[in-house]
Amino acid sequence: MCDWEAFVRAQFRLPGLAPEREARIVRELAAQLEDFYREAIATGASEADADAHACRQIHDWERMAQDVWLADRRHARPTFERTIEPRLERLTSGQQALPHPSRGGLLVVANILRDTRYAIRQLTQTPGFTVVAILALALGIGASSAIFSVVNGVLLRPLAYPNPSDLVRVHEILQKFGRFSVAPATFLDWRQQNTVFERIGALNSTGATLVGAAGAERIAGGLVSWDMFDLLQVAPALGRTFRAEEDVPGKDGVIILSHGTWQRRFAGDRNILGQSVTLSGTPVTVIGVMPAGFPFMSDAEFWRPLALPANPTRGGHFLAVIARLKPGVTVQQAGAEMKTISERLAVQYPDASANESAEVIGLQDSVVAGIRPALLTLLSAVGVVILIACANVANLLLVRASVRGKEIAIRAALGAGRRRLILQMLSESIVLALAGGSVGLLLAYLVIRPIQTLSAGSIPRSNDISIDSSVLLFALLVSLATGILFGLAPAWQASRSTIGSVLKEGGRSSTASSGRWVRNSLLVAEVAMSIVLLVGAALLLRSFARLTSVDPGFRPEHVLAFRVALPNTAYPQDHHRIAFFNKLLEGLDALPEVTSAGTTQTLPMRGDYILSFTIQGQPAPKPNEGPSANYRVASPNYFQTLSIPLLRGRAFTDRDGEKSPMVAVVDQKFVERHFPDRDPIGQGIDIGNGTDGFYEIVGVVGSIRLNDLETSPAPTMYVPFTQDSFSSAWVVSRTNGDPAALWTSIRQAVQAIDRSLPAFAMTPLADVVSDSLAQRRFSMLLLGLFAFIALFLAAVGLYGVVAYTVSQRTQEIGLRMAIGAQRGDVLRLVVGGGMKLAIAGVAIGIACALALAHLVATMLYEVTPFDPASYSATALVLLAVAALACYVPARRAMRVDPIVALRQE
Amino acid sequence: MFSSELKKGSTEMLVLSLLESQPRHGYEIGKLIESRSGGRLTFALPSLYPTLLRLENRGWIKGRWVEKAGQRERCFYRLTPEGRRVLAKQQDNWKAYVAAVNEVMGTNGV
Repeated sequence: MCDWEAFVRAQFRLPGLAPEREARIVRELAAQLEDFYREAIATGASEADADAHACRQIHDWERMAQDVWLADRRHARPTFERTIEPRLERLTSGQQALPHPSRGGLLVVANILRDTRYAIRQLTQTPGFTVVAILALALGIGASSAIFSVVNGVLLRPLAYPNPSDLVRVHEILQKFGRFSVAPATFLDWRQQNTVFERIGALNSTGATLVGAAGAERIAGGLVSWDMFDLLQVAPALGRTFRAEEDVPGKDGVIILSHGTWQRRFAGDRNILGQSVTLSGTPVTVIGVMPAGFPFMSDAEFWRPLALPANPTRGGHFLAVIARLKPGVTVQQAGAEMKTISERLAVQYPDASANESAEVIGLQDSVVAGIRPALLTLLSAVGVVILIACANVANLLLVRASVRGKEIAIRAALGAGRRRLILQMLSESIVLALAGGSVGLLLAYLVIRPIQTLSAGSIPRSNDISIDSSVLLFALLVSLATGILFGLAPAWQASRSTIGSVLKEGGRSSTASSGRWVRNSLLVAEVAMSIVLLVGAALLLRSFARLTSVDPGFRPEHVLAFRVALPNTAYPQDHHRIAFFNKLLEGLDALPEVTSAGTTQTLPMRGDYILSFTIQGQPAPKPNEGPSANYRVASPNYFQTLSIPLLRGRAFTDRDGEKSPMVAVVDQKFVERHFPDRDPIGQGIDIGNGTDGFYEIVGVVGSIRLNDLETSPAPTMYVPFTQDSFSSAWVVSRTNGDPAALWTSIRQAVQAIDRSLPAFAMTPLADVVSDSLAQRRFSMLLLGLFAFIALFLAAVGLYGVVAYTVSQRTQEIGLRMAIGAQRGDVLRLVVGGGMKLAIAGVAIGIACALALAHLVATMLYEVTPFDPASYSATALVLLAVAALACYVPARRAMRVDPIVALRQE
Repeated sequence: MFSSELKKGSTEMLVLSLLESQPRHGYEIGKLIESRSGGRLTFALPSLYPTLLRLENRGWIKGRWVEKAGQRERCFYRLTPEGRRVLAKQQDNWKAYVAAVNEVMGTNGV
């Protein structure tokens, strides 16, 4: 061997000795070993034999290190104390005026720095332990930071307007439907009569066709009260906002562009102001451009004045109303006044507004209220993941602490007080936690993009999700808290070790039994918490499976849906629009790949369109108290295209034209609700759709789900699209193959009729159905991921504890085998020990899950929170994983050679 | 040959004695104990070396790196004045102890 010093250094660590002292000892031992080597060479030994001879001189390096340390304790002081502390001392004593506390402060800082250095040195000496611990923490902290960044972006961060807390949403409360959109006449009365709002404005989403270089295109926009931008306190980047006199029909030929649209479609041309653009065939003048990042109606590419007519409707509810509170007015006060005003209006206009009221909620609340429970559930779930990671690392630290018992005892013998020892151990766990936190943040950074993609469409404000300073602060605080949490048990235990007992036991822990108790409890807790998460995930998974197997009442597969919006300028009359859609449906039917095509005004899964009606022969109900039902217009082949079954009578035909007798088709639910005991065919209904007279019911079709998969079908009535024409409608086409392949031919079919018309919002109907599950998919996938992490951590924890037990019981196992125990007995002994803990954890976990189950009840669908299948499957999965985690160390135990094991004593 | 209990009590004195006449390095000390005792006393490196450190820390011996002609650099230990006093005292004690033990066992002069 040529480099004995390197050899000694590789064998030998003297943590806590000053580096130069350590160097000297290494050098001297190396020199002596070399003497032994040369001696052997001199007596004629081969080089290999000489190496072996020298190496034999010290067979127990660990013991050697301890003996050296004990002998050299005078030097057992970290460099820091000897070099930095005296300097601090000098520094502080040189400045007599310095008050005492800050000198103490400096020493505290010095202590912390020293402990940190020591901790880092300790951790780098056991890389396996350190990597496992950091990974466990990184999983916990990373998951929680990722979810916190979602919670922060969506729930916590204020909306990006000045004084966002003054912004509120005002709803009408309808007796039958609860929170509802606002009728224009009601909005105007609110604006006139309220004393609590600085400004109040209304908006409605709209769309327009823009003919540009690339052909006709449909763009989304907003119709807003003239002072909406002043209300939001956002100034335009270019030009001006609307004026009051422009918020009037006929004078509203002005438009404000979004920043993105200005850049994309007008190349950021600063001379755009005053120019005319043609929207849906109508020329309008550009008066302003909003700033980049303006979050209002984030899909909107343009805004135009709402321009309500002089005598607007009180019965049609379609406006969203936003207001800004006057200074000093609370949301509750505003709510009280709006309620009073609305109730007065209800009395004043009993025909249209009977029993109506109003409600005021914070704008941010109104945006995120729907997602809050799901996000808070996920946040609690990651909290549990962190606790599991903590328990895991605490266990690893405890195992390590008992292995290090002797070192700790020596430190205590060298005069380290109990407080000192606790601080030392704690600083080690905090260093670990901070390292875990850093890796965790990296993980969070990596998963934030996938989370954003997953949440787009299912979560409001998903654009606001990012890792910002609050997320960093959160990660730091969580890391510190976890560091203290998982460091406390080992620190407390270590500080209780007494020198004598540790040294007497030949290096094994004095606190073996109490240590085992703590370790086992932590493990049981870990398993129990994993069970809680797994049960939650299993319940969501089963709900999701139930939902995806729900029959929506129609067959969305192989159907492509798209929208067409006819501008009033080119299609002013009903017969123009009917002619267009008849021609379009004919054109689509003529396509070889289309088997059938139909049209309606509102696509299934896209929400309600509810109208009131009266049944012929029944007394007229009081205003707002009559029956109402979902309302759809449909073309003859609509039912066939969506495979909605015809149960009785007939569907619409081409003969049901504009001037033919008015006919209607109702669904099964409608019959059950309104004609429970008589034949609906031939009955008349008067639908509040603006037409006069009764529609004769000619057929009954199957019920379909209109809002989403979880809401049961509601009574629905259909009338021919020729008898109530819409300018904007959905068209559905069924094909035998991939619906997306229809894209081009459909586009051409539309353009063949009117070159200026875009076919937009083209989507396979199956995607529309699956999008309605997006929010559930988001919660389920994330909770599932967390449960998986929890399971993994619990398995690692179980493995660690069992493996440690095996290593501690090697001699006992050897003895048992020597007196005749078979391998099977050893297997039972080891696996049995671990499984007892796992079973205890599962039992406690199931009990906790049962107690907590009601928390997820609102997120479930047709699965009770106490679903036995979910619970038993979860328990089985965990026990199987636990058995595997115990089996691996048990195999090692079975291979113990009794002779070797006994010789260790 | 002798039990480690018996050896433990005398290691320090043996080391100090060997350093009385001249400075020596660690390997030499181990070898001298072995050869002078005719192989009956051996001290392995793991017990001898911590003893050297302990004696040095008590200020009884002092190690210094010296490079002698034709040899590698080694740490030579020499007795300090304090060490010399301690050794004299230990030798007296030891002689008195051996004498007393012999008296008790009735083996004096054998």
